[in-house]
Amino acid sequence: MASPQQHLIALLAGVASGNETAFAELYQASSSKLLAVAIRIVKQREVAEEILQEAFVKIWERAGDFDASIAAPMTWMATIVRNRSLDEVRKRAGKSFVNDGELDHLVSEDESALSLLERDDDVARLMRCLETLEPDKRQMVRLAYLDGMSREALAEKFDKPEGTVKTWLRRSLMQLKGCLDG
Amino acid sequence: MTEREDIEELAAEYALGSLSASERASVEARRPSEPGLDRAILAWERRLSPFIETLEPVAPSPGLYGKIRARIAPAAEVVSLQAYQEKLAARAARWRTTAIGMTAVAASLAGVMVWKEAYKPPMSATYVAVLQSGEQQPAFLMTIDTKSHMCAIKAVGAKKEQGKSYQLWMLHDTMPKPKDMGLIAVGDDMDLMEMAPDTDMNVYMTAKFAVSLEPEGGSPTGEPTGPVMYVGQLVQSMPDGTTSL
Repeated sequence: MASPQQHLIALLAGVASGNETAFAELYQASSSKLLAVAIRIVKQREVAEEILQEAFVKIWERAGDFDASIAAPMTWMATIVRNRSLDEVRKRAGKSFVNDGELDHLVSEDESALSLLERDDDVARLMRCLETLEPDKRQMVRLAYLDGMSREALAEKFDKPEGTVKTWLRRSLMQLKGCLDG
Repeated sequence: MTEREDIEELAAEYALGSLSASERASVEARRPSEPGLDRAILAWERRLSPFIETLEPVAPSPGLYGKIRARIAPAAEVVSLQAYQEKLAARAARWRTTAIGMTAVAASLAGVMVWKEAYKPPMSATYVAVLQSGEQQPAFLMTIDTKSHMCAIKAVGAKKEQGKSYQLWMLHDTMPKPKDMGLIAVGDDMDLMEMAPDTDMNVYMTAKFAVSLEPEGGSPTGEPTGPVMYVGQLVQSMPDGTTSL
């Protein structure tokens, strides 16, 4: 039995050769996760679904560029969705976001952090390494990655100068790297 | 701070998502020419991606896949063949006008008298297919002349891919698998292929033509192995009996 990751790799190879069945299956397997990524950043389902559409068209066109020795399939696809989502929120920077209610059940990942810690995989390793950061810095890293908050937005939220946020983020990331790669 | 640390931290913040729009744009502009930066970004994307697993999945609206499917090639061409054919005919007309214009320039340069003697009329462009991907610029132009039984392929927008070859395939409902139509050169020259004299144009007119990107020298299996890059279908651009432009 192939692992879910191997399955996604095989599907992407199928998509690369123009196989629409593989594409449909890839969509089935990954779209709800990827939509969660987009909604969390852009805060609106309608906008997030538009981004997901564009992302899957891009996945169809670029599947041949995917290289399993460089990236995991989910990382590759999520990066497409995240980059597009980040472009969208930066474009609207300054305007306030209207939470359309989609977020309410999405912001509770902290609650499950304990159960995630018990897993024996990349997720658990990242969670354990995050635990080594001070709470404020941990929260900043999380808000930047999952919510797509810019330094500027974080500075406002944490009431710190932007330069301080930059220093904190970069130090936290290097600390994470030491923990994850070590 | 050393430059290397700077690149590492910039890559980290880029992958994290905390950069401003202009900083993001600057990183994206630098990326293609800075392999070190590119590698660092990929490594950071890998390190941080487990975050995604902490999100609760959200099911997309039921109609979303249909919208995506309508936008991808070659499925897009299958959806409304008539609309697509009309679009193709318009494009083919545009390309033919360009070709006539170029011949005229060549003629005026060479001198009309010389041109009249040496010039052999090009084969009549009776059928034309524009091979393209979605709404992008045409990549290959394929013309078939039923009188000379020649099929000509010209790269118009396709770019040479290092270590790869473009290969043309014909797909038809009556064929169990795509028919190999040969490799296509990407350059100034046209690829000419002779067709069997008993070729059934009805099959050609209802077939689809696809270009896949294959390892150099062509598909090792005799069937498309690489991504299908461009698709198109023939339309009749000149009525039967027309012998020249």
